[in-house]
Amino acid sequence: MMAKQKLLPIDEQPERYQTLALVLTVSAAYLPLASHLNWRVSAFVALVLILRFAAVRWPAAAPGRWLLLALTLVGVANCLLANHTLVGKLGGTSLLVTMLALKLLELRARRDHRISAIALCFVVVVQFLFDQGIGLTLYFGGIAFMIVALLVDLNGGIGSPPIRRAMPVVLRICLQALPLTIVLFALFPRLTSPLWSLGFDQDRATMGMSESMEPGSISELVINGDLAFRARFDQRPPRPDQLYWRGLVLWEVDNRKWSPGRVNQYQPADSELTRAAERIDYEIVLEPSRQRWMFSLDLPIEHPPNTVLSRDFQLLSDRPITTARRYRLSSALDFRTAVPADAERRYALRLPDNTSERMIALVKQWQLETDSDWALVQKGLDFFNREEFHYTLLPPKLGANPWDEFLFLTRSGFCEHYAGSFAVLMRIAGLPSRVVLGYLGGELNRIGGYHLIWQSDAHAWVEVMIAGRGWVRVDPTSAVAPSRVDNRGASRLLGTYAPARFHIDSTGVLANTIRHLRLLADSIDAAWQRSVLDYSAAEQTRLLDRLGLADYGEFALAGIMVAAVTVVMGLILFGLVHQPVAIDPATRCFALLCRRLAAVGLVRHAHEGPLDFAARVAVARPDFALRVNAIVALYIRGRYMPNPTVADVQRLSQLVKAFVPRKPRRSFSNAKCRKYFA
Amino acid sequence: MTFGRRLHRFRLTRGTAGKHPGARLRGASLRSAVKRIFNGLLRRAPMDKDGVARIAARQIYILPTSIGMLYATTVFVMLLGSLNYQNNIGLLFAFFMASVGLVAMHHCWYNLLGLAISVRSGPAVFDGAAALFEVTLSNERSHARYDLRLKGGLDASTPVALDAHDQRGIAFAQPTSRRGLLWLTDLEVETRHPMHLFRAWCYARGQASVLVYPRPAVAAPSPVQSSGDTHRPAARTGEGADDYIGSREYRSGDSTRHLDWKAFARERGLVVKQFGGDDGLEVWIDWRALSTPDPEERIRLLTRQVLDAGAANLRFGMRLPGTEIGLASGADQMQHCLRELALFDDGQTKAPSH
Repeated sequence: MMAKQKLLPIDEQPERYQTLALVLTVSAAYLPLASHLNWRVSAFVALVLILRFAAVRWPAAAPGRWLLLALTLVGVANCLLANHTLVGKLGGTSLLVTMLALKLLELRARRDHRISAIALCFVVVVQFLFDQGIGLTLYFGGIAFMIVALLVDLNGGIGSPPIRRAMPVVLRICLQALPLTIVLFALFPRLTSPLWSLGFDQDRATMGMSESMEPGSISELVINGDLAFRARFDQRPPRPDQLYWRGLVLWEVDNRKWSPGRVNQYQPADSELTRAAERIDYEIVLEPSRQRWMFSLDLPIEHPPNTVLSRDFQLLSDRPITTARRYRLSSALDFRTAVPADAERRYALRLPDNTSERMIALVKQWQLETDSDWALVQKGLDFFNREEFHYTLLPPKLGANPWDEFLFLTRSGFCEHYAGSFAVLMRIAGLPSRVVLGYLGGELNRIGGYHLIWQSDAHAWVEVMIAGRGWVRVDPTSAVAPSRVDNRGASRLLGTYAPARFHIDSTGVLANTIRHLRLLADSIDAAWQRSVLDYSAAEQTRLLDRLGLADYGEFALAGIMVAAVTVVMGLILFGLVHQPVAIDPATRCFALLCRRLAAVGLVRHAHEGPLDFAARVAVARPDFALRVNAIVALYIRGRYMPNPTVADVQRLSQLVKAFVPRKPRRSFSNAKCRKYFA
Repeated sequence: MTFGRRLHRFRLTRGTAGKHPGARLRGASLRSAVKRIFNGLLRRAPMDKDGVARIAARQIYILPTSIGMLYATTVFVMLLGSLNYQNNIGLLFAFFMASVGLVAMHHCWYNLLGLAISVRSGPAVFDGAAALFEVTLSNERSHARYDLRLKGGLDASTPVALDAHDQRGIAFAQPTSRRGLLWLTDLEVETRHPMHLFRAWCYARGQASVLVYPRPAVAAPSPVQSSGDTHRPAARTGEGADDYIGSREYRSGDSTRHLDWKAFARERGLVVKQFGGDDGLEVWIDWRALSTPDPEERIRLLTRQVLDAGAANLRFGMRLPGTEIGLASGADQMQHCLRELALFDDGQTKAPSH
């Protein structure tokens, strides 16, 4: 191995600082990825990197070929052990990072350094599959700069000191590449659907709301501090208590949980709304959930492309949402749905097997006391308000019959307890009802002018079929008396942001400042999301529309891209090649003298030096001789002598400016003239 | 001289003078013909009247290196992956790297654009030694140039960086394999600046030659003594013991025994006392006196005789078919003879020798 190193030509031998810089850059690029990988992989890579750093300091520590081969086998086995696969997002990334770290152990020639630096690009791109935040992007912008700098420095031939001389070159390249990058990013045609799938999506569990609701499922979600989506209203946003964000509709109830059921709900809505007023237009940027459902303000009347609006007004995407998705839609706050078909009605009346005597008795009691369906609903809400019901994030555990136990024993729970049991009660009373999962409210970001809807805003409510009014929203949770809301438990669990319904007032200056900073950071994040992350074929189509080229589709886009890249590259090249020609001031003066003499008929020939020309002028016009000789003498001193003085050049300039030759006077006879000019 | 213009190592053509008959090709192979035609198609920066070649835009060739291909493949894969997974940041990064590559390509090209190249001849050398040329690279613009390398030199040239309005002379060594004039008419300058992704190169015309003396034979028979006067053997050791004939300045290689120490003590510098000069030590180095059939071998023997005679400080002359150099002594005479031997045309050797 040592012999091999000696055989390297001199300009292929890397400097130690280059090796160190490469290893540091790889480590820095790997660092954010470490948290996403299995600990086994992280540990192995960390170990290899430590070995590498040691080898920079003590070259003898570098492993030999056989040890390296063994390490490679161990690394692959380790990846297999950790992920059970070498493909897919996690498996592939683990293998890539392991291999790159191992490659660092055999850095001999500069060529190895270059290959490693280029392979590092893969790590950067793979990293963006895990996280695309603005901070991280800036961080990796720095890594990209380092990759360019490493390649420039490895090429060498830059003079010394190499690092300081390489920096302007690297900066120039990066700055010139930026406008090109932006042009390419904006105009490069995008795919509307993936060409292939490596099963990246199956790697992680779904996020956000789950498909069914059982007691405790939403409170788990509420503790999660993640963002669900952002919403931006075109006009004035509705009141917070009107912000019911509709998600899933649950029809079927069994002994423990509510689930979507067998209703053919993915069919498009055929029942028109019989009434829709207070139309609201807005835009939502949904965080990836790996689920198909999307959220809309109760009740959507128009739905975006590539989505389905089902009969029960669920908005469903045609494929799971794996990246942030932006969509526009319209809703009506005041609405009346059509009366459902009988089959649907019957389905909305099915009861669980475990309805208890107490529940039936309670409903019977209400039915006796009321004369209309709506009055019965009010009676139910009164029940939650009047009795000792508590609203808490930390409800006691429920046994085999959760609906009964909640209503008569524990009487403290979260929205899923209220909605679930209320809907069961309504079904006992013969009122078709269903549970809707979604979010309530949201935090207004005044800086960005949009609402943030967090997972902690998750909510469940009930829709009851009332004769003549269609499905009517009833929120039993809101019936709980405010005094019985347990906001201590909530504030402990929710941290800085608590949903409005917990009535937590954080009036402290520090808390407010933190809140504002958080909102500011989120505004930047939202802008990033909107302008960069969500930039897609749709935006490009809109751009083409504006240019009136929509008919040509991707061809127009590609054409514009090529033209724009050419223009930008041309500008860069012009900046490179164009050199302001700094004409020597003495030369400029002499040129002026020649022009003035040419105006009176004394043209300097191309082969004539200044002295010859001056001699000829002196013969032709003895009256100019003195001045022209003085000027030419100064010119020669200023132009050809080493270190001309500024005073000389100034004097030259003065003389030339003052020298304005006139045509020969009439007293010159023609013959004389001819003789002089011969 | 059909093959007089045959290219030697692509860029180096030999003068028409010293052509080794054995080295002649029986017929131009197809390969060398193709090479020659291709070589004729290459664009070269012409010399201006000052002997400087300036590289114009269309005289620069550029191709990606293997690292550049790897880089392009990487960027392409990144682009494809990011497009497929609609990962905009990945795309942004891929586009940035692609743009960097594109910009680097133009920087590579620009690094050679307008470079002024001129070549100067070095001193004469004996066949087998390296011939040295001095190549001057000058940067006439206000942007620096980096990583300029001369291609085809004997030893790997270190890259040269030129600041604005800077110039640098580079020793450019060429191997010699035959006597005659070694012409350097074509120079190749290359650069891989800035990221080793592309290699740009250009050919510049030059006009410089180094005289290559024949390789002296290891030993040679004593040359013919001057006619008539045969009473003294051509003893090389006998130089100098006789009459003092004058002084001259010290030249390196002179025996210290002949130094005029008294003159040195009088601060007149190093002076050598010259002895001898007797007309008995006149030799003729004669082509016909040798019987070796191979003319090149004969020239090598003659070279050895010239060197020996010069070292012995004899008065000597040289007769070659068609030329005769009169009797003289000293370094000038030696150089004159070596030059004749170097440029002696074998075309003329055939007729008189056999």
